[in-house]
Amino acid sequence: MVRVSLRNITKRFGKVVAADHITLDIEDGEFFTFLGPSGCGKTTTLRLIAGLEIPDEGRILFDDIDVTDLPSYKRGVGMVFQNYALWPHMTVFDNIAYGLKIRKTPMTEIKARVREVLELVRLEGLADRYPHQLSGGQQQRVALARALVIEPKLLLLDEPLSNLDAKLRIEMREELKDLQKRLGITTIYVTHDQEEAMVLSDRIAIMSNGRVEQIGTPHEVYRKPSNLFVATFIGRSSVLKGEVVSVDDFIEVKVGNLLIKGCVSGEEKVNVGDNVYVVLRPHDFMAVEEGEEINELEGVVEWLAFIGGIVEARIRVDSERVLVSLDADTEINIGDKIKVFIPWNNVIILKT
Amino acid sequence: MLSTTRLREIKKSLDPLITFQYIFSYAYLTLFLLLPIATIIEQAFLHDGSFSLHWFEKVLSDPDFFSLKARGGMMFEVHGDTIYIWGIDHGYIMNSLIVAATVTISTSLIGVLTALIIARYDFPGKNIFRVMVLIPMLATPFVNAYVIGKFFQPRGGLLNFLFYDVLHILPWRIDVNGLVGIAVAQTLAFYPIVYLNVFASLMTMDPTMEEQAESLGAGGFKLFRTITLPLSMPGLAAGATIVFIFSLEDLGAPIGFIGYSGNPLARKVMSVYVFDDFAAAVTGAISPITSAIAVILVSFAVAGFLAIKKYVTLKTYATISKGGRWKPRTRKLSFKGLIPVYLFLTLLVLSASMPQIGVIILALTDWAISGLAPKAITFEYVSRLFTDPNVMRAISNSLVYSGVAVLLAVILGSSSTYVIARSKLPGTDVLDSLLTMPIAVPGIVVAVGYFLFFTGFFRGTILDPLVDPALLLIFAYSVRRLPFTARSVFAGLQGVHESLEEVATTLGATRFKSFFDIVVPLIAANVIGGGILTFVYSMSEVSTSVTLGALREDRGPITFYISQVIYGTAAVGTVSVAAALCLLLITVQVIALAVSNYILKQRVAFLGI
Repeated sequence: MVRVSLRNITKRFGKVVAADHITLDIEDGEFFTFLGPSGCGKTTTLRLIAGLEIPDEGRILFDDIDVTDLPSYKRGVGMVFQNYALWPHMTVFDNIAYGLKIRKTPMTEIKARVREVLELVRLEGLADRYPHQLSGGQQQRVALARALVIEPKLLLLDEPLSNLDAKLRIEMREELKDLQKRLGITTIYVTHDQEEAMVLSDRIAIMSNGRVEQIGTPHEVYRKPSNLFVATFIGRSSVLKGEVVSVDDFIEVKVGNLLIKGCVSGEEKVNVGDNVYVVLRPHDFMAVEEGEEINELEGVVEWLAFIGGIVEARIRVDSERVLVSLDADTEINIGDKIKVFIPWNNVIILKT
Repeated sequence: MLSTTRLREIKKSLDPLITFQYIFSYAYLTLFLLLPIATIIEQAFLHDGSFSLHWFEKVLSDPDFFSLKARGGMMFEVHGDTIYIWGIDHGYIMNSLIVAATVTISTSLIGVLTALIIARYDFPGKNIFRVMVLIPMLATPFVNAYVIGKFFQPRGGLLNFLFYDVLHILPWRIDVNGLVGIAVAQTLAFYPIVYLNVFASLMTMDPTMEEQAESLGAGGFKLFRTITLPLSMPGLAAGATIVFIFSLEDLGAPIGFIGYSGNPLARKVMSVYVFDDFAAAVTGAISPITSAIAVILVSFAVAGFLAIKKYVTLKTYATISKGGRWKPRTRKLSFKGLIPVYLFLTLLVLSASMPQIGVIILALTDWAISGLAPKAITFEYVSRLFTDPNVMRAISNSLVYSGVAVLLAVILGSSSTYVIARSKLPGTDVLDSLLTMPIAVPGIVVAVGYFLFFTGFFRGTILDPLVDPALLLIFAYSVRRLPFTARSVFAGLQGVHESLEEVATTLGATRFKSFFDIVVPLIAANVIGGGILTFVYSMSEVSTSVTLGALREDRGPITFYISQVIYGTAAVGTVSVAAALCLLLITVQVIALAVSNYILKQRVAFLGI
């Protein structure tokens, strides 16, 4: 397969910078995801790798070979588009066989390989259908089969699951992950869905405004966000502003009248007197059963939502508002007083 | 300043296919549209070898061309038992503008009213009226004015006979002719253009716009004035402007009235002036005064076109033509409302389809020579289409010219629209304008331009119209009818998502290969639909046919033959043969429309924006 390197890649559309000096390496066989809100430049970056756009600056390397000026039809990448881009005037077979026909593969081999890939994506027997006769999930598989059949060294997926309904999306992402591990193909995935990115990826690049904010494993970007954007984009959180009062094994921050202990995330060291953000994830809170805990907060419930397995509550502590998740069976009502705590090593502290 | 990135982007765009398409489009439009017009402008501004406004001063100071004082004519004058409604002469230029303005206003009123009734109300027989109001779109060049003349003839005309002689409703016999006659004929022929455009606007209007206003208390005329009319303005503006341009360049109505009655006022419009001077062009020259008139004509038309440019670009058209994503608002008409609606529509349909009905009667009976009413059915005239060598030659000329013109328009239309839709090359905006501009260039101006340019620079070659006008007629058709093909193809391209081509390139297809494998099959229906429209309107093309076509009689197409019959210069043939030819054109048109509507399932845009 292939190792992909972006070196200082920049792409502007008029005044908008869709990719801003991106430098990163994607390892051979890796499942790598660009994650970010819409308009952050993730699709543009993917299209640059595919050769569908040319960068204003920077180079793109496949296994250390410069492909920046290579037209897309010579790059040998398989790509699945968000809208699948199935050709409506061709059958499933013709859609999938197209890349092989271009490569002048003999017809007998084409038939065999199309059959094989149809089995791989579990669409046996649908070769003669037209795209409009297929369900969304089936269309998605055809698009994937069409990209895989040419045995690309690199697979590019542009939000391939976003047009499927929620249940099918979860099924498909498991299948996709399974398939990618089996084929060992370097895969670059684009999505705005953080859960999808977490489930699928070996590593994630979080993007905003054309810049890569952080690259890391799903666990790293969740627990060790390098800045506030990443911290708030990944997972739910409450953000409080405060001032560092002591630096020890943990860092103590004064937020209004509260004292919260946590640990620093990101590159920068913090010192006493620094202004910092305190990021609290609702899931990390626990109800105080008895006695006293570190980082104990007592507040009045202002808002409640029952979300299946949990109850989410917004509590007012002093002058701050904090979102907490509680066990679904917790009996509370709006206006109740409640006492919760959060382990200090789960509290993320970021320099402003 | 072009940045290096821009240069690289352009370089990337210039694959063999796009390069060919880009160069071909520009070369074709430069040679067959821009340079001929430039030659007219050059001649009009040249006097004694240097730049001068001489010819314009000459034209504008000559009361025969431009006069604020009336120079004769008759408007509601009663002589004996007849009231003459001919119009007042203010010189060629003013006359043309007055007629065009009048026709624009009258078609707008009729068009908007008809569109509102049909788009917003439900009533029995609506679908029949919906088809009937479009009858004037069926081509009956020259003969329509002849028929209107025949109906209004003071003595022996059907209307005067009925309302004066028999029913005694009218105090006088009415003689509608001259400039008023032209305006009446054009109003009846052109109102569907406004109607179709406004109708399209009404159908694409989000119904919640009006519902919201109603919920806030606006109703009836207030709703129409504050919401409905402003939102249908794009359609009205585009339709009205096209009518204005068509009226300025129209030869059919004036020549019809000249042919029918020799009325001197029917001659006094710019288009006829240019046409008459062209008749002298066989000797090899067109007067600079004619060029100056052509420049004035084209300036007015292009000014109108620029005013509505944002409504008629390919991109706007492609969005509008999709339309109909929701169910438009319709209301059931009350019994009290039915009477005026039926009265209006019936009157409109009857008078508007008068030329077409007249053409059919003329072609199939002895009406041309029988006086007041036809006395016997005859197939003599229709059979002349298949026996008279002159008529057959005209038909085959038209078929060949239109056929080749369609091929060229299809190649040109798909090439240029593809460049516009897909490449990032500089000059695509200009190309977009060039593709729709032929709507604004009067055919008679194209003819003068071709004559000057090709006799000047290609003298004695196959492109010299004095040697053989056939090729030039083909090019003229292909350019004049290009907007039909281009818009249809562009709408098709809009429906082909770019990712369909991109995925092919990631699979290893070059642009050339993906264009023919993916794009062409997917836009085939649009190409054919646009081609059919181009063919139909090439067959019935008038202005260049009767001018360039006149330069060599054996090369004349159908409309040239008809004009000669009506103008009274043809040695053989009667009006009825001309009517039979119109019947042929109508048949071709009906078949073509049926094919595109029912086989290709295309909503044919006629002359819609």
